Amino acid sequence: MDSVALAWLGSGLAIGLAAMGTGLGMGFMVGKGLEGVSRQPEAAGAIQRLMVMGIAFVEALALYALVIALFLAFKA
Amino acid sequence: MNTLAASGNPVDHLRLHTILRIDAAGLRLDITEAVLFMWAGCAVLVGVFLVASRHSGPATRGLRTVLEAMLLFIREDIVKRNMGSRGVRYFPLIATLFFFILVSNWVGLVPLPFSYSATSNISVTAALAMFVFVLVQVEGLRLRGVRGYLRGFVPEGVPTMLLPLMVPIEIISALARPFSLAIRLFANMLAGHLLILVFLGMSATGLWFLKAVPLVGAVLMSLFEIFVGLVQAYIFSMLTAIYLSEVVGEA
Repeated sequence: MDSVALAWLGSGLAIGLAAMGTGLGMGFMVGKGLEGVSRQPEAAGAIQRLMVMGIAFVEALALYALVIALFLAFKA
Repeated sequence: MNTLAASGNPVDHLRLHTILRIDAAGLRLDITEAVLFMWAGCAVLVGVFLVASRHSGPATRGLRTVLEAMLLFIREDIVKRNMGSRGVRYFPLIATLFFFILVSNWVGLVPLPFSYSATSNISVTAALAMFVFVLVQVEGLRLRGVRGYLRGFVPEGVPTMLLPLMVPIEIISALARPFSLAIRLFANMLAGHLLILVFLGMSATGLWFLKAVPLVGAVLMSLFEIFVGLVQAYIFSMLTAIYLSEVVGEA
Protein backbone atom coordinates (compact mmCIF):
# COMPACT_ATOMS: atom_id res chain seq x y z
CA MET A 1 0.00 0.00 0.00
CA ASP A 2 1.32 3.42 -0.89
CA SER A 3 0.85 6.52 1.20
CA VAL A 4 -2.05 7.79 -0.92
CA ALA A 5 -4.03 4.63 -0.34
CA LEU A 6 -3.24 4.82 3.38
CA ALA A 7 -4.40 8.44 3.51
CA TRP A 8 -7.70 7.52 1.86
CA LEU A 9 -8.11 4.57 4.19
CA GLY A 10 -7.38 6.83 7.16
CA SER A 11 -9.85 9.42 5.95
CA GLY A 12 -12.62 6.83 5.65
CA LEU A 13 -11.81 5.35 9.04
CA ALA A 14 -11.68 8.79 10.66
CA ILE A 15 -15.17 9.84 9.63
CA GLY A 16 -16.63 6.36 10.06
CA LEU A 17 -15.39 5.88 13.61
CA ALA A 18 -16.33 9.44 14.52
CA ALA A 19 -19.84 8.93 13.16
CA MET A 20 -20.12 5.73 15.20
CA GLY A 21 -19.12 7.42 18.46
CA THR A 22 -21.19 10.55 17.98
CA GLY A 23 -24.12 8.45 16.82
CA LEU A 24 -24.00 6.51 20.06
CA GLY A 25 -23.69 9.69 22.09
CA MET A 26 -26.52 11.48 20.30
CA GLY A 27 -28.68 8.37 20.54
CA PHE A 28 -28.27 8.27 24.29
CA MET A 29 -29.00 11.96 24.56
CA VAL A 30 -32.11 12.02 22.39
CA GLY A 31 -33.37 8.81 24.01
CA LYS A 32 -33.03 10.29 27.47
CA GLY A 33 -34.59 13.52 26.26
CA LEU A 34 -37.62 11.67 24.90
CA GLU A 35 -37.88 9.76 28.15
CA GLY A 36 -37.88 13.03 30.05
CA VAL A 37 -40.51 14.57 27.78
CA SER A 38 -42.81 11.56 28.03
CA ARG A 39 -42.53 11.63 31.80
CA GLN A 40 -42.97 15.38 32.12
CA PRO A 41 -44.60 16.77 28.98
CA GLU A 42 -44.82 20.20 30.61
CA ALA A 43 -41.00 20.43 30.66
CA ALA A 44 -40.79 19.70 26.92
CA GLY A 45 -39.64 23.22 26.02
CA ALA A 46 -36.73 23.33 28.44
CA ILE A 47 -35.66 19.76 27.67
CA GLN A 48 -35.77 20.42 23.95
CA ARG A 49 -33.66 23.55 24.22
CA LEU A 50 -31.02 21.81 26.32
CA MET A 51 -31.09 18.79 24.02
CA VAL A 52 -30.47 20.88 20.91
CA MET A 53 -27.57 22.59 22.70
CA GLY A 54 -26.10 19.25 23.71
CA ILE A 55 -26.58 17.79 20.26
CA ALA A 56 -24.65 20.67 18.75
CA PHE A 57 -21.74 19.95 21.09
CA VAL A 58 -21.70 16.25 20.27
CA GLU A 59 -22.15 16.92 16.58
CA ALA A 60 -19.09 19.14 16.65
CA LEU A 61 -16.95 16.09 17.48
CA ALA A 62 -18.03 14.34 14.30
CA LEU A 63 -17.32 17.53 12.40
CA TYR A 64 -13.78 17.78 13.79
CA ALA A 65 -13.26 14.28 12.40
CA LEU A 66 -14.79 15.38 9.12
CA VAL A 67 -12.24 18.18 8.84
CA ILE A 68 -9.42 15.68 9.47
CA ALA A 69 -10.94 13.27 6.97
CA LEU A 70 -11.15 16.00 4.34
CA PHE A 71 -7.55 17.02 4.96
CA LEU A 72 -6.44 13.42 4.52
CA ALA A 73 -8.59 12.82 1.47
CA PHE A 74 -7.56 15.92 -0.44
CA LYS A 75 -3.91 16.14 0.65
CA ALA A 76 -3.34 12.65 -0.69
CA MET B 1 -22.52 26.00 -8.23
CA ASN B 2 -21.96 25.69 -11.99
CA THR B 3 -18.25 25.54 -11.32
CA LEU B 4 -18.73 22.17 -9.65
CA ALA B 5 -19.69 20.26 -12.77
CA ALA B 6 -16.59 21.62 -14.49
CA SER B 7 -14.02 20.68 -11.85
CA GLY B 8 -15.59 17.61 -10.23
CA ASN B 9 -13.82 18.18 -6.93
CA PRO B 10 -16.22 19.78 -4.46
CA VAL B 11 -13.39 21.30 -2.43
CA ASP B 12 -12.38 23.50 -5.36
CA HIS B 13 -15.59 25.40 -4.85
CA LEU B 14 -14.53 26.34 -1.33
CA ARG B 15 -11.12 27.64 -2.28
CA LEU B 16 -10.87 31.39 -1.96
CA HIS B 17 -10.05 33.51 -4.97
CA THR B 18 -8.36 36.86 -4.67
CA ILE B 19 -10.56 39.49 -6.21
CA LEU B 20 -8.47 42.52 -5.31
CA ARG B 21 -4.90 42.13 -4.13
CA ILE B 22 -3.94 44.42 -1.24
CA ASP B 23 -0.38 44.11 0.00
CA ALA B 24 0.03 46.21 3.14
CA ALA B 25 3.79 46.06 3.83
CA GLY B 26 4.03 42.30 3.53
CA LEU B 27 0.65 41.71 5.17
CA ARG B 28 -1.81 40.32 2.66
CA LEU B 29 -5.21 41.96 3.08
CA ASP B 30 -6.74 40.62 -0.12
CA ILE B 31 -10.38 41.08 -0.92
CA THR B 32 -11.67 37.54 -1.38
CA GLU B 33 -15.14 36.01 -1.62
CA ALA B 34 -15.22 35.71 2.16
CA VAL B 35 -14.72 39.46 2.59
CA LEU B 36 -17.19 40.29 -0.17
CA PHE B 37 -19.89 38.08 1.29
CA MET B 38 -19.31 39.44 4.79
CA TRP B 39 -19.91 42.90 3.36
CA ALA B 40 -22.95 41.62 1.52
CA GLY B 41 -24.25 40.09 4.75
CA CYS B 42 -23.71 43.33 6.65
CA ALA B 43 -25.47 45.29 3.88
CA VAL B 44 -28.43 42.90 3.95
CA LEU B 45 -28.64 43.16 7.74
CA VAL B 46 -28.50 46.96 7.76
CA GLY B 47 -31.07 47.11 4.97
CA VAL B 48 -33.46 44.68 6.66
CA PHE B 49 -33.26 46.47 9.99
CA LEU B 50 -33.66 49.89 8.38
CA VAL B 51 -36.76 48.75 6.51
CA ALA B 52 -38.15 47.08 9.63
CA SER B 53 -37.61 50.10 11.87
CA ARG B 54 -39.12 52.61 9.43
CA HIS B 55 -42.51 52.65 11.12
CA SER B 56 -42.15 53.29 14.80
CA GLY B 57 -44.98 52.86 17.23
CA PRO B 58 -46.49 50.12 19.32
CA ALA B 59 -48.37 48.30 16.57
CA THR B 60 -46.02 45.87 14.84
CA ARG B 61 -46.53 43.63 11.89
CA GLY B 62 -44.64 41.77 9.22
CA LEU B 63 -40.87 41.87 9.20
CA ARG B 64 -40.67 43.97 12.32
CA THR B 65 -42.60 41.43 14.37
CA VAL B 66 -40.17 38.69 13.36
CA LEU B 67 -37.09 40.77 14.20
CA GLU B 68 -38.55 41.96 17.49
CA ALA B 69 -39.37 38.39 18.47
CA MET B 70 -35.81 37.32 17.68
CA LEU B 71 -34.28 40.23 19.58
CA LEU B 72 -36.52 39.53 22.55
CA PHE B 73 -35.50 35.90 22.47
CA ILE B 74 -31.83 36.90 22.47
CA ARG B 75 -32.32 39.34 25.34
CA GLU B 76 -34.41 37.09 27.55
CA ASP B 77 -33.27 33.56 26.75
CA ILE B 78 -29.63 34.05 25.83
CA VAL B 79 -28.47 37.15 27.69
CA LYS B 80 -30.62 37.42 30.82
CA ARG B 81 -30.90 33.69 31.46
CA ASN B 82 -27.12 33.34 31.56
CA MET B 83 -25.88 36.67 32.83
CA GLY B 84 -28.82 38.14 34.70
CA SER B 85 -29.83 41.77 34.41
CA ARG B 86 -26.20 42.90 34.66
CA GLY B 87 -25.56 41.21 31.32
CA VAL B 88 -27.92 43.51 29.41
CA ARG B 89 -24.84 45.66 28.70
CA TYR B 90 -23.66 42.88 26.38
CA PHE B 91 -27.02 42.43 24.65
CA PRO B 92 -26.17 44.61 21.62
CA LEU B 93 -22.89 42.76 21.14
CA ILE B 94 -24.46 39.32 21.37
CA ALA B 95 -27.39 40.26 19.14
CA THR B 96 -24.94 41.62 16.55
CA LEU B 97 -22.88 38.42 16.69
CA PHE B 98 -26.05 36.34 16.35
CA PHE B 99 -27.41 38.21 13.35
CA PHE B 100 -24.04 38.49 11.63
CA ILE B 101 -23.40 34.75 11.94
CA LEU B 102 -26.97 33.93 10.93
CA VAL B 103 -26.79 36.03 7.77
CA SER B 104 -23.29 34.77 6.94
CA ASN B 105 -24.52 31.20 7.28
CA TRP B 106 -27.54 31.77 5.10
CA VAL B 107 -25.86 33.84 2.40
CA GLY B 108 -24.11 30.73 1.06
CA LEU B 109 -27.46 29.07 0.46
CA VAL B 110 -28.60 31.69 -2.04
CA PRO B 111 -28.65 29.72 -5.29
CA LEU B 112 -26.15 31.74 -7.30
CA PRO B 113 -23.08 30.25 -9.01
CA PHE B 114 -20.72 32.28 -6.83
CA SER B 115 -22.52 32.30 -3.47
CA TYR B 116 -20.25 31.64 -0.53
CA SER B 117 -20.74 31.43 3.22
CA ALA B 118 -18.15 33.54 4.97
CA THR B 119 -18.54 31.30 8.03
CA SER B 120 -17.44 28.24 6.05
CA ASN B 121 -13.96 29.79 6.08
CA ILE B 122 -11.79 29.06 9.12
CA SER B 123 -10.23 32.55 9.11
CA VAL B 124 -13.60 34.22 9.58
CA THR B 125 -14.75 31.96 12.39
CA ALA B 126 -11.30 32.08 14.01
CA ALA B 127 -11.46 35.88 14.00
CA LEU B 128 -14.90 35.81 15.63
CA ALA B 129 -13.76 33.28 18.24
CA MET B 130 -10.56 35.22 19.02
CA PHE B 131 -12.64 38.36 19.45
CA VAL B 132 -14.85 36.58 21.99
CA PHE B 133 -11.80 35.14 23.78
CA VAL B 134 -10.05 38.51 24.09
CA LEU B 135 -13.29 40.18 25.16
CA VAL B 136 -13.81 37.65 27.98
CA GLN B 137 -10.23 38.08 29.23
CA VAL B 138 -10.39 41.89 29.09
CA GLU B 139 -13.76 42.01 30.84
CA GLY B 140 -12.47 39.54 33.44
CA LEU B 141 -9.50 41.77 34.20
CA ARG B 142 -11.60 44.93 34.18
CA LEU B 143 -14.45 43.69 36.37
CA ARG B 144 -12.58 41.46 38.80
CA GLY B 145 -9.11 42.95 38.92
CA VAL B 146 -5.91 40.97 38.50
CA ARG B 147 -6.41 38.94 41.71
CA GLY B 148 -9.99 38.01 40.92
CA TYR B 149 -9.10 37.20 37.34
CA LEU B 150 -6.35 34.82 38.45
CA ARG B 151 -8.65 33.29 41.07
CA GLY B 152 -10.93 32.26 38.21
CA PHE B 153 -8.36 29.63 37.28
CA VAL B 154 -8.45 28.08 40.77
CA PRO B 155 -11.52 25.84 41.12
CA GLU B 156 -13.33 26.01 44.43
CA GLY B 157 -13.66 23.09 46.81
CA VAL B 158 -10.65 21.24 45.43
CA PRO B 159 -8.06 19.81 47.87
CA THR B 160 -4.79 21.77 47.85
CA MET B 161 -2.92 18.63 46.82
CA LEU B 162 -4.80 18.55 43.53
CA LEU B 163 -4.31 22.22 42.64
CA PRO B 164 -1.04 21.75 40.68
CA LEU B 165 -3.04 19.40 38.48
CA MET B 166 -6.29 21.38 38.30
CA VAL B 167 -4.92 24.85 37.55
CA PRO B 168 -3.13 23.84 34.32
CA ILE B 169 -6.27 21.97 33.26
CA GLU B 170 -8.36 25.11 33.84
CA ILE B 171 -5.90 27.21 31.87
CA ILE B 172 -5.85 24.70 29.01
CA SER B 173 -9.65 24.56 28.95
CA ALA B 174 -9.79 28.36 28.77
CA LEU B 175 -7.28 28.37 25.92
CA ALA B 176 -9.12 25.60 24.06
CA ARG B 177 -12.39 27.54 23.98
CA PRO B 178 -11.64 29.77 20.98
CA PHE B 179 -10.54 26.71 19.02
CA SER B 180 -13.72 24.79 19.73
CA LEU B 181 -15.84 27.89 19.04
CA ALA B 182 -14.13 28.49 15.70
CA ILE B 183 -13.99 24.90 14.53
CA ARG B 184 -17.59 24.12 15.52
CA LEU B 185 -19.01 26.90 13.39
CA PHE B 186 -16.56 26.43 10.52
CA ALA B 187 -16.94 22.64 10.32
CA ASN B 188 -20.73 22.76 10.54
CA MET B 189 -20.97 25.20 7.66
CA LEU B 190 -18.28 23.46 5.61
CA ALA B 191 -19.82 20.02 6.10
CA GLY B 192 -23.30 21.14 5.10
CA HIS B 193 -22.15 22.99 2.02
CA LEU B 194 -19.84 20.17 0.95
CA LEU B 195 -22.66 17.67 1.31
CA ILE B 196 -24.94 19.79 -0.90
CA LEU B 197 -22.11 20.12 -3.43
CA VAL B 198 -21.42 16.39 -3.40
CA PHE B 199 -25.10 15.68 -4.03
CA LEU B 200 -25.15 18.19 -6.89
CA GLY B 201 -21.96 16.67 -8.28
CA MET B 202 -23.57 13.24 -8.24
CA SER B 203 -26.58 14.70 -9.98
CA ALA B 204 -24.40 16.34 -12.63
CA THR B 205 -22.27 13.29 -13.39
CA GLY B 206 -24.69 10.43 -12.66
CA LEU B 207 -26.63 8.24 -15.06
CA TRP B 208 -29.59 10.03 -16.57
CA PHE B 209 -32.28 8.02 -14.77
CA LEU B 210 -30.54 8.50 -11.42
CA LYS B 211 -30.03 12.26 -11.66
CA ALA B 212 -33.19 13.10 -9.73
CA VAL B 213 -32.29 11.13 -6.61
CA PRO B 214 -29.26 13.17 -5.44
CA LEU B 215 -31.07 16.34 -6.52
CA VAL B 216 -33.79 15.59 -3.96
CA GLY B 217 -31.00 14.98 -1.45
CA ALA B 218 -29.49 18.38 -2.25
CA VAL B 219 -32.84 20.12 -1.80
CA LEU B 220 -33.45 18.41 1.54
CA MET B 221 -29.91 19.20 2.70
CA SER B 222 -30.42 22.86 1.75
CA LEU B 223 -33.54 22.92 3.92
CA PHE B 224 -31.62 21.28 6.75
CA GLU B 225 -28.82 23.83 6.32
CA ILE B 226 -31.27 26.67 6.98
CA PHE B 227 -31.98 25.03 10.33
CA VAL B 228 -28.29 24.33 11.01
CA GLY B 229 -27.38 27.94 10.25
CA LEU B 230 -29.92 29.14 12.81
CA VAL B 231 -28.84 26.61 15.46
CA GLN B 232 -25.14 27.44 15.00
CA ALA B 233 -25.78 31.18 15.31
CA TYR B 234 -27.74 30.41 18.51
CA ILE B 235 -24.96 28.16 19.86
CA PHE B 236 -22.25 30.73 19.16
CA SER B 237 -24.11 33.57 20.86
CA MET B 238 -25.18 31.27 23.71
CA LEU B 239 -21.58 30.19 24.35
CA THR B 240 -20.41 33.81 24.20
CA ALA B 241 -23.02 34.62 26.83
CA ILE B 242 -21.95 31.66 28.98
CA TYR B 243 -18.26 32.58 28.77
CA LEU B 244 -19.07 36.20 29.62
CA SER B 245 -21.30 35.11 32.50
CA GLU B 246 -18.27 33.57 34.19
CA VAL B 247 -16.64 36.97 34.50
CA VAL B 248 -19.77 39.10 34.88
CA GLY B 249 -21.33 36.81 37.49
CA GLU B 250 -24.57 34.88 37.26
CA ALA B 251 -27.98 36.26 38.10
